[in-house]
Amino acid sequence: MSEPILSRNFNIPDAHKLSVAESRGAYETAKKVLATSKPEDVINAVIASNLRGLGGAGFPTGKKWQFLPKDNPKPVYLVINADEGEPGTCKDRYILERDPHQMIEGIIISAFAIKSHKAYVYIRGEYVEPYRNLQAAVDEAYKKGYLGKNLFGGTYSLDLVVHRGAGAYICGEETALLESLEGKRGLPRLKPPFPAIVGLFGCPTIINNVETVACVPHIMKNGAEWFVKLGTPTCGGTHLFSLSGHVKKPGVYELPMGIPLKEIIYNYGGGIKGDKQLKAVIPGGISAKILTAAEIDVKMDYDSLKAAGTMMGSAGIMVMDENTCMVKMLYYATKFFSHESCGQCSPCREGTGWAHKIVTRMYHGEGTLKDLDTLLTIARNMEGRTICVFADAAAWPIQSYIGKFRAEFEAYIQNGKGKDLKPQEAVLQHG
Amino acid sequence: MNRAILNQLDVEAEKVVAKYDQKKAATLTLLHMAQDKVGYVTPEIEAWVSKWTEVPVVHVHEVVTFYSMYHKKPAGKTHIRFCTGTSCALGGYEKILSHLKKKLNIQNGEVTKDGKFSLEEAECLCACECAPMMQVGDKYHMDLTEKKVDQILDAHK
Ligand SMILES: Cc1cc2nc3c(=O)[nH]c(=O)nc-3n(C[C@H](O)[C@H](O)[C@H](O)COP(=O)(O)O)c2cc1C
Repeated sequence: MSEPILSRNFNIPDAHKLSVAESRGAYETAKKVLATSKPEDVINAVIASNLRGLGGAGFPTGKKWQFLPKDNPKPVYLVINADEGEPGTCKDRYILERDPHQMIEGIIISAFAIKSHKAYVYIRGEYVEPYRNLQAAVDEAYKKGYLGKNLFGGTYSLDLVVHRGAGAYICGEETALLESLEGKRGLPRLKPPFPAIVGLFGCPTIINNVETVACVPHIMKNGAEWFVKLGTPTCGGTHLFSLSGHVKKPGVYELPMGIPLKEIIYNYGGGIKGDKQLKAVIPGGISAKILTAAEIDVKMDYDSLKAAGTMMGSAGIMVMDENTCMVKMLYYATKFFSHESCGQCSPCREGTGWAHKIVTRMYHGEGTLKDLDTLLTIARNMEGRTICVFADAAAWPIQSYIGKFRAEFEAYIQNGKGKDLKPQEAVLQHG
Repeated sequence: MNRAILNQLDVEAEKVVAKYDQKKAATLTLLHMAQDKVGYVTPEIEAWVSKWTEVPVVHVHEVVTFYSMYHKKPAGKTHIRFCTGTSCALGGYEKILSHLKKKLNIQNGEVTKDGKFSLEEAECLCACECAPMMQVGDKYHMDLTEKKVDQILDAHK
């Protein structure tokens, strides 16, 4: 990759401060757009750019914005999803903490495009330090007249409120996020109606990920065509890939859409720690189906990963070396999902808990071969039967780990492995 | 004592509520504010939030029990969230966590005898690129080793 775009300020000291950000060009594009463009111009540019939502689902951003009702008398809200919680993902934290003005500028242009005058940023509660940097950046922007009434001395006004979550992965799901923002438990809503029609406080609402809106100023500055060329034919731009696990150089890497997974692991990540063999990779956060070492010849974009039977998700890549125990990995996956199920739908509430109980028993050397089929049945009964796709995401690790490493699971059970695990590991209590 | 603290928070609460389009939306923020001052969410705090948001106390209580960051009983002066997510597991967090537990002489969900620390085994805190990691108070501490844990705890003494 030649020039970093989203990550260009990540290693500049104090880039979260307005003076430094402005010396690097922050808000120039927003000023220009508000002075010279119409909202439709921005929407058209974003459509032409092939920008797709970077929160996980990859939905075309401009198309989503067009779902807003025409001639609508109610206020329109822009809500930014900064609830980053998908295991394996740490990209939004970099923008929030190191370059919040980039996101604020993106919010200004995006809100202008959808004719919204009020934006909320929902940031995960544990991100206290990123929150402080972001809130300080918002305060500075208000002081300078970049937020509030008559932005940049023009006619457009926008208020921005930063709202802290309080520890619940499910609030990353957009309708649970709205419930939570309204002061309630984070229980996902039935769709339709979609948030673009009935969203926050019953009003039309657009929800976008931090990184998605951060792309918008760059599209307006350099043109949609430039953005298209950075990516694949169906998905423009670059993406912040979070790389963790058994690689020599874990980190957040900004790379073009469609970059080969192998290149990320072996070039950017420096290869496997201790020069061991690769065993498996989770390409898109814990919810994505696992790939075996033989399956990693795949490009990192929504369509290629879908074709490979998994998904891009949040682009959180977790790398596992030859010594990784798949029973243990499944234990960690089911622990996460059973802890984070919101409990609203019974297939999910019961299924995630039951699966975790079985896997915990198996992990500690008390499993039976029959357990494997029971787990697959539980997974099948969670898929597609609930209000949101959390339950599907909980089913996929079970299906893919057992499906692709069944022999290892069987050997673990038959050899009575796990019996020697220390008791303190056995009593990991959650909730 | 609670009452006096909450009275002091009233000025700030008014500003917070005004930022939102509806009062009830301030629920999470007011709970954070009060917990930061008192240490955990007491029945008085729930009543105070209910007063400001104009939603029933039972509803506030429901919210408190849903979210993991609200302490339902007194926490230590410094609360530690130790990440037990997949990337931290790949990074071998178990050994470091047992070292921490031995050092503090507490288990998950407990408070040290002197009240200085409490421990929570947390789900992914999304600092996977620097696993294993933990959050001590507000701060993320990354790329943990047993030695680093010792230094961090000593600095909080
Ligand atoms: C269980 C679950 C968790 C999610 N967590 C997040 C999250 O942490 N951050 C995020 O941006 N999107 C998350 N999403 C996706 C959002 O629902 C939504 O699609 C996204 O915020 C839309 O923004 P985008 O179009 O810009 O990607 C999650 C979805 C589900 C089902």
